[in-house]
Amino acid sequence: MGEHEKTFNKIVEWLNEASTSTDQKLKVANISKVQELLIHQNPQLLESFLDDVLAFQSDRTMEVRRSVVGFIEESCKKDPAILPRVMDSLDLLLRDSVPQVQKRVVQAASQIYRGTLMYIARTQPVPAQMEKAWGAMCTMKSEIVKLIDSDNDGIRTQSVKFLEGVVLLQTYPEAESMVRENDFNLEDIPLTLKIVRRRRLEEEASMIFQLLVKFHGEAHVSSVNLMTCMGSLTLIARMRPQFMGKVITCLENLNKKLPPTLSKSQVNSVRKHLKLQLTNLLKQPSAVDYHPEIMKLLADLGCTPQEIAKIMPKVDDKSRRNHKRPGTESASSLHKRPKLEALYRPEPVTEQKKSHSSKAIPDVPPELTEKFIAERLAPETVSELVLAALHQVPASMPPHFPTSYTPFKEPGSQAHIQYLAKLLHSQMSGSAGRQVPRKSGRVLTELEEDDLDEVAAPPPPKAAAPVAPVAAALEPVLLPPPPPVEELMDQDGDDLEGPLLPQRESNEQLMSEREKLKELTPMTPMTRPLKQKARALKLAEITRPLSQEMKTKMCLSAVKRILNAEKTAQFGGVNAIRSKIIVTLASTYNSDVRGDILQFVVDDLQNKLDLDLAISWLYEEYSLMQSFTRKPVFNEDDGSAVKRYVKLFCTLAVHLAEKPEREPLLKRLYLEAPCITEEATDILKSLSCDETRCSVGLQLLQSLVIRRPPKQLTYLNALLEHSAHDSTEVRSNGMKCVLALYDDRSDLRSIIEEYAIMYLGFLQLPAPPDVLFGAERGRPSKADTWAEGPTKACLYLYLELLPHEHRLIHELTRVYAQTVADVKRIILRLLDAPVRGMGMDSPELLKLVEECPKGAETLVTRVIHILTDKTPPSAELVKRVRELYQSRVSDVRFLIPVLNGLTKREVIDSLPRLIKLNPIVVKEVFNRLLGNHSDSSSHNSPLTPVELLVALHVIDPKKCELKTVIKATTLCFSEKQAYTQENLAIVMQQLMEMNPLPTLLMRTVIQSLAAYPNLSGFVMNILQRLILKQVWTQRKVWEGFIKCCQRTKPQSFQVLLQLPAPQLQEVLDSCPEMRQPLLQHVQSFTDTQRSHVPQSVMDVLTGTRHVVQEDYDAQIAEPMSPDGLTIDVREDAFQENSGTSEPLPPGMD
Amino acid sequence: MPDKENLRLAVICSSNMNRSMEAHAFLSKKGFQVTSFGTGDKVKLPGTAPDRPNCYEFGTTYEEIYQDLLGKDRSFYTQNGLLHMLDRNRRIKMWPEKFQLSTEQFDVIFTCEERVYDQVVEWLSTRSPVDTASVHVINIDIQDNHEEATIGAFLFCELAALLTSSEDLDNDIDELLHDFETKCQRPILHCVLFY
Repeated sequence: MGEHEKTFNKIVEWLNEASTSTDQKLKVANISKVQELLIHQNPQLLESFLDDVLAFQSDRTMEVRRSVVGFIEESCKKDPAILPRVMDSLDLLLRDSVPQVQKRVVQAASQIYRGTLMYIARTQPVPAQMEKAWGAMCTMKSEIVKLIDSDNDGIRTQSVKFLEGVVLLQTYPEAESMVRENDFNLEDIPLTLKIVRRRRLEEEASMIFQLLVKFHGEAHVSSVNLMTCMGSLTLIARMRPQFMGKVITCLENLNKKLPPTLSKSQVNSVRKHLKLQLTNLLKQPSAVDYHPEIMKLLADLGCTPQEIAKIMPKVDDKSRRNHKRPGTESASSLHKRPKLEALYRPEPVTEQKKSHSSKAIPDVPPELTEKFIAERLAPETVSELVLAALHQVPASMPPHFPTSYTPFKEPGSQAHIQYLAKLLHSQMSGSAGRQVPRKSGRVLTELEEDDLDEVAAPPPPKAAAPVAPVAAALEPVLLPPPPPVEELMDQDGDDLEGPLLPQRESNEQLMSEREKLKELTPMTPMTRPLKQKARALKLAEITRPLSQEMKTKMCLSAVKRILNAEKTAQFGGVNAIRSKIIVTLASTYNSDVRGDILQFVVDDLQNKLDLDLAISWLYEEYSLMQSFTRKPVFNEDDGSAVKRYVKLFCTLAVHLAEKPEREPLLKRLYLEAPCITEEATDILKSLSCDETRCSVGLQLLQSLVIRRPPKQLTYLNALLEHSAHDSTEVRSNGMKCVLALYDDRSDLRSIIEEYAIMYLGFLQLPAPPDVLFGAERGRPSKADTWAEGPTKACLYLYLELLPHEHRLIHELTRVYAQTVADVKRIILRLLDAPVRGMGMDSPELLKLVEECPKGAETLVTRVIHILTDKTPPSAELVKRVRELYQSRVSDVRFLIPVLNGLTKREVIDSLPRLIKLNPIVVKEVFNRLLGNHSDSSSHNSPLTPVELLVALHVIDPKKCELKTVIKATTLCFSEKQAYTQENLAIVMQQLMEMNPLPTLLMRTVIQSLAAYPNLSGFVMNILQRLILKQVWTQRKVWEGFIKCCQRTKPQSFQVLLQLPAPQLQEVLDSCPEMRQPLLQHVQSFTDTQRSHVPQSVMDVLTGTRHVVQEDYDAQIAEPMSPDGLTIDVREDAFQENSGTSEPLPPGMD
Repeated sequence: MPDKENLRLAVICSSNMNRSMEAHAFLSKKGFQVTSFGTGDKVKLPGTAPDRPNCYEFGTTYEEIYQDLLGKDRSFYTQNGLLHMLDRNRRIKMWPEKFQLSTEQFDVIFTCEERVYDQVVEWLSTRSPVDTASVHVINIDIQDNHEEATIGAFLFCELAALLTSSEDLDNDIDELLHDFETKCQRPILHCVLFY
């Protein structure tokens, strides 16, 4: 008892030390010491300390936790009854975060599961606690099944091992199974057990086996897992021969196709492992059926026939050809099992009648066969064989072939032939052997019975086959047909009670399985690639992430290859697909890729002038921008989709705008692009500003206005801006486009008009607004005053529109009134062409004239002037002007342009006022009246030149100063064309007939005479007639008369002589120098002539008589002539305003 | 298993004389927990002629072998280094051990040639299971002479250090071996087996 206490205290001490210590080694050591004491030396104490040890399960260090698992494992091994107490801990530890602990639990679980199952099988009845623990154990089992997909290699390995254990536990062994000591299997589980049902366990086992097979076949299984799984499967096959076939198929598949992820040395390890497993299998008596397959695999793996032969179990012929299904043994096991169980277990064929002869197939030892084949392996036969088999050779070399192929050292040598013969033999016997069981199962049993007693060695498995005759492989094999199933049934029915149905069932199952196997196993050593099953690819497991740099580099070079593959793509007819790929890459990848592709596209444009790729890219970007396409997740691109679209578009546009030959492409780009951003419009605008290139840009803008209604205002605005550009070239092009739009598109008219009017409105501002300036407007520097440039900029568009839309003229008049003088002058100057374009019939113009808004009089005058400059005014116009003149504006200058449209009376009435105007204007008036401007044909003056001159003479001196009239007449005389000799004669004639005589009569006469000396005769006539009219009664005229006579001497002597003496006296008084010549003239007369001269006259001439005529003079009503009047034409300086060509505004007179 | 002492190593050659013992000596000097074994039927040492090797049963102490050779041809066995080797061995442990007789468990087993590897694998996979603890068996071919044995010892030591550096050996070993193989330019065989 003292010893017991001492142990107790020691354990307490150790546990305390472990729990207080921080040294993990000490803890682990103490736990293992405690474990030793509790489990192996003092199991009675376990109960007391179990919980204390389990408490370490939550220790921080994983080594300690692992040792707790070890403790649990050992405890359960010692006494499975303890499981209910440790199950929770175990479950908790399985969920540990550290893989090492998890692995340890899985490892322990194998033992515990087994121990528990054994415990349950032995203990009757099973305690309730244990039942519960078993349930938990089963849950844990399914957890571990899931762990086969864990990310951790080690956990997977342990899980595979666990599953292996489960399969072995939950299946039945067979007679030829490899038996390990302490084996536990389904047979050891009592049928009466409620919580554990054999059938369910077996189902589960086969499910788990399938899982292992699947795991084994995964394409990316790691080498460690693969080898583990391979080992497990082999072990299962060895211990549970019913799985042998599937396992060998598995191994064959593996050999055909090793996981591609294995490194070279891993492949070596795996192949080596495979070889070892096959060797182990080969040694297994239950594998006799599969020897050909195994041998073939071994040969593939590089085993020489000698090696294989060494491994081959030494089975004597008898036992080999004996298909042993020992009835006794089976029967004994049958006794233990109820018949139901048999349903789920393949049962060997046992009882059959000896009715069939087995002699049909003679058994031939393999050596003989081999020899037979070797003798016949002549070159001809071999080549025939090769040719016959050629069609089965796959088109391309299977990937595993180079690795598994081992060349012969001496091809064609005897050893080689021998080897080939052996291979052929195994091939034949293999294929034949597989067919045998179903073909001659009956035959076998017969043989088997014969040898039943003698055979001590482990008999071959149920499907062991006699070797088919070798010759049959080269010639058609003639095997006896299998007995029909019905027959079999009939024959067997008598003897058999239970097992018949199961037998048939299992046989058929077997057959179908074999059939499948055969499909999978090619006949030639050269194997066909196996149909790959769809498997879950665990990429993360087998790959390492590339460096970012590497990724980028590879990505870019891949893109480059695609880009450069144009010709190839075209050749293959997949150009569209290539484009699509490029476009998708470009729009969804990072900026590096984009950059490269953009460069490519741009270069491509240079070479080919083809825009398709670019356009489709644009559309792709547009889809992304509009979210028509979802943005790919890997797009880590900078900036928004809009930015990318803009950048792409602008790069393309700038590139295309560079050279004139790319213009068609540029047009296409703009017209086909899904969306034209502001930036793109700006590019177009700046292109339009270039004098040499503007037409493209502007025309493009025009097309855009028409074809892209949603944004037409933007483009229209851009166009309009250019219509006021400083450069003539740009402006005229822009104007053309705007006008085309203005004429074609009624919906745009108002917009364009508004724009023009807005600009017009600028003129009212004190200084030009900023919008008119800037490089893009052609006016880089801002001006503060309304110089010509900015003023014109505001007018260009308006004036262009004016001829198209006359009513706009009213806007001008409104603005005009409020502008400064400089602007007014420019407006008036520019108005010429547009107004002329409008024509004088324009109702709007007439309306303007009619209304003549205040302040716009000069404008209206100018308009009328322009209208009538070359053509005679229309009646309408005249009417309006007349009305205006009469009702509102009494400025005579209004009348000037329409003079020709007025009546004679009106003209004559207005003459006094007209001639008072500036001489230049007067001249203009006369020009109009005399038709000097216009073509003579269309000229239709209300006054003839004669009438004009006459009218001037009869102007009432009250209305107009004589001086002004003189100037006007002087102007007339300068018009030699109009005032010819004849016209002047008529004028003089008419004037002379007037009464009283016009004041300026004699002046005109003198002037006419000066202009046309030939008129002297006519003048003499006039003078004579004037005498008759008593010219001396009008003082001014009389003075002129005298002056005229003075100038026209000596012709005038004749006239003078006709004057009455007092008048003559007067003449001579005022011109004494005349007296002598006149006297001489009279004296030169003949007497008869002289006799006609009255005496009084003679007296005057001679001076003998002096006539005084005061009275007479006083009677004359002397018209009020100004004192300083001289008749001579005097050049006065009346050109005060000659510097200004503009008429002064009416108010400023 | 970051701790050297926690990684249970075994180095196995054919006779547990030269290669395994060289590595055993070197690794334990470096602080590893290491054991060495042979897998052959007998302990074989070269004799004075190629066809006359010296054969001993496993269990014969190094001391006995040493004395035996000393007696047979002292100068010859001094010259070919056998005596020196045995002298070293007897300081390390008593006698050559046969792997197939051991019940000890290891985490990693190094083998020195493919035949030995095969034997180890075969034996481990055919013996009856104990507790399914896993063990990595790793082979590096090393010629059976003194110089190569020394080089081999370095390689094993380096590899052992590499394996020790891993937090989760089972998970990392594929990569570690791959790296090591690339570095040392010798083919490596590797598999996992269970006790």
